[in-house]
Amino acid sequence: MPLDSARSARLGVPDLGVGVGLRVPHYAQIQSQRPPVDFFEIISENFMVEGGKPRDHLARVLESYRVVPHGVSLGIAGPEPLDWEYLKRLKRLLSQVKPPWVSDHFCWCGAGGAHLHDLLPIPFTKQAVTRVVERARAVQDFLELRFALENTASYLCFESSTLSEWEFISEVAERANVGLLFDVNNAYVSAYNHGFDPYEFVEHVPHDRVVQIHLAGHTNLGAYIIDTHRGTVQDPVWDLYRRTIELTGPVSTLLEWDDQIPSLEELLAEAEKARTIRDAALSGKAPASPIRGVPVQGMQTQGTQPGWQQGGPRESAREAPSQ
Amino acid sequence: MNELDEIQAFFAQQLRSRRALPNDAAVSEQAQRVVKASGRLSAVERLEIYREQFWLRHTASLAEDFPGVRGIVGQSAWATLVEGYLAAYPPQSFTLRDLGGRFPDHIAGQSVLPQLRLCTDMARLELAYIEIFDAADVPPITPETLSAIPESAWQAARLVIHPALRLLQVEYRVAPLRRQLIEAQSQHQPSQDAHEHAVLAERDPHCLLVFRRDLQLFQERISRGAHALLGALTRRVPLLSACEQAQLEVPDQAAEIAESIGPWFQAWAARGLVTGVEV
Repeated sequence: MPLDSARSARLGVPDLGVGVGLRVPHYAQIQSQRPPVDFFEIISENFMVEGGKPRDHLARVLESYRVVPHGVSLGIAGPEPLDWEYLKRLKRLLSQVKPPWVSDHFCWCGAGGAHLHDLLPIPFTKQAVTRVVERARAVQDFLELRFALENTASYLCFESSTLSEWEFISEVAERANVGLLFDVNNAYVSAYNHGFDPYEFVEHVPHDRVVQIHLAGHTNLGAYIIDTHRGTVQDPVWDLYRRTIELTGPVSTLLEWDDQIPSLEELLAEAEKARTIRDAALSGKAPASPIRGVPVQGMQTQGTQPGWQQGGPRESAREAPSQ
Repeated sequence: MNELDEIQAFFAQQLRSRRALPNDAAVSEQAQRVVKASGRLSAVERLEIYREQFWLRHTASLAEDFPGVRGIVGQSAWATLVEGYLAAYPPQSFTLRDLGGRFPDHIAGQSVLPQLRLCTDMARLELAYIEIFDAADVPPITPETLSAIPESAWQAARLVIHPALRLLQVEYRVAPLRRQLIEAQSQHQPSQDAHEHAVLAERDPHCLLVFRRDLQLFQERISRGAHALLGALTRRVPLLSACEQAQLEVPDQAAEIAESIGPWFQAWAARGLVTGVEV
């Protein structure tokens, strides 16, 4: 189906069901037990390497599962031009994975030649819309695959912003004709941090452009929430997910858990919770609507020093080699 | 520079600051003009969240990739070392896998670091592990390919050496030390000081061949002659010239190089270290 065709069938992208992030601590178990998982999401950059274990593990997973790559380093809104070498390497990965779509974030990652390895927030301005639209189109055309951008969790907003976040991402998605990866947890985190109603966000994005949904745990420090991808999904996020599914219809849903990664059994149990809620929302059996409005308080999470990371630990050569 | 670029340049500069931003009055004032305060945090406090994460993330990534160096220098010196490195060599690659690419060079220049050579050796070893871990998979040269090469072509032939191979010259036995340090870290044992590590890694200059075969990393001691020859071959020097270069580089092992080149080649080819021959 041409990428610019009608928006039927959700931009030509299938509903893969409920998946989980493919993470290093689970590799052995996944390969030996082949548990039922609708699909896995990988962090693209962790597999944009020439060979060795990362590519081998990926090849084995691809024998049994659908895999969707999710990037964290494109930095589509950055001050520097698109990195075509990066995109060529990504395209090589896509030729191996053959996913139905590929995604990255509404963010920038560096300036002045430095790559800061973070999903940095964008000032929501018309100038930024123009920049991201132009590049999102170029990326999608180059990759020859449906491209989707994800709303990030943010910890600050800019004086210069003239648009709401949902106005910004909607305008980019429509004008660039790209998909949206709607991260429900990020919407909640940003709503808490910036004082808006996350339901307003959910209700105002173009639902027929949402090709994937993310769910994750977060860490509430009181003054702000960090999108740590640690722990189970919190109840207000489940409520928001339920409403999202009511509005979007069946959309591939992915559970991220990247810090203090649990056993595969615990991870899959959390994914099953997502499936139950998704099925109920799709069948119209959702419970009464939860309390809406600006999230002003939440259960403060205790734990070690919080940080955010995408994809958990990269597979590395930490183990001692043989003699 | 347009407004968007200016905001991003300001933001990126502050993230790499080594000082907490709220302590800087000028930055606090600038932040107020760019960033909205929330009901709970000032503009500069919000910016500070990102700065803290920059350091946490990159420090953690280097600690993961260089557990041996971290174990030798100890936590306090490690933090200083990493701060200095990230300031001198800001991350430029899209992947954190490349973050430590200049770390050995940086360490080599830290003259105030105790056990400087031990740390440098360890950093070089750990960088070699990183580089070969996910280097390209290339099949070894086949016996059929080898036998098809005419005898007369060998002197000018250039060997293609596997990309997952690194050669090191180290002063200390850093490989066993690294294993001990990782074990101690996994058992949360207090790190020993640099002197104790120096005792553990007694001075013992040697050459190391580090390589990956299939998916496993291997390392072995090789002679200085083998190191010199393999080094020249890796640089695609033709076989005869490589031999001559190695003999010049290690004159006290010139005879060994001449005698051993056949067995060495056979052993390297058998291990998959030679992937082709250009004639």
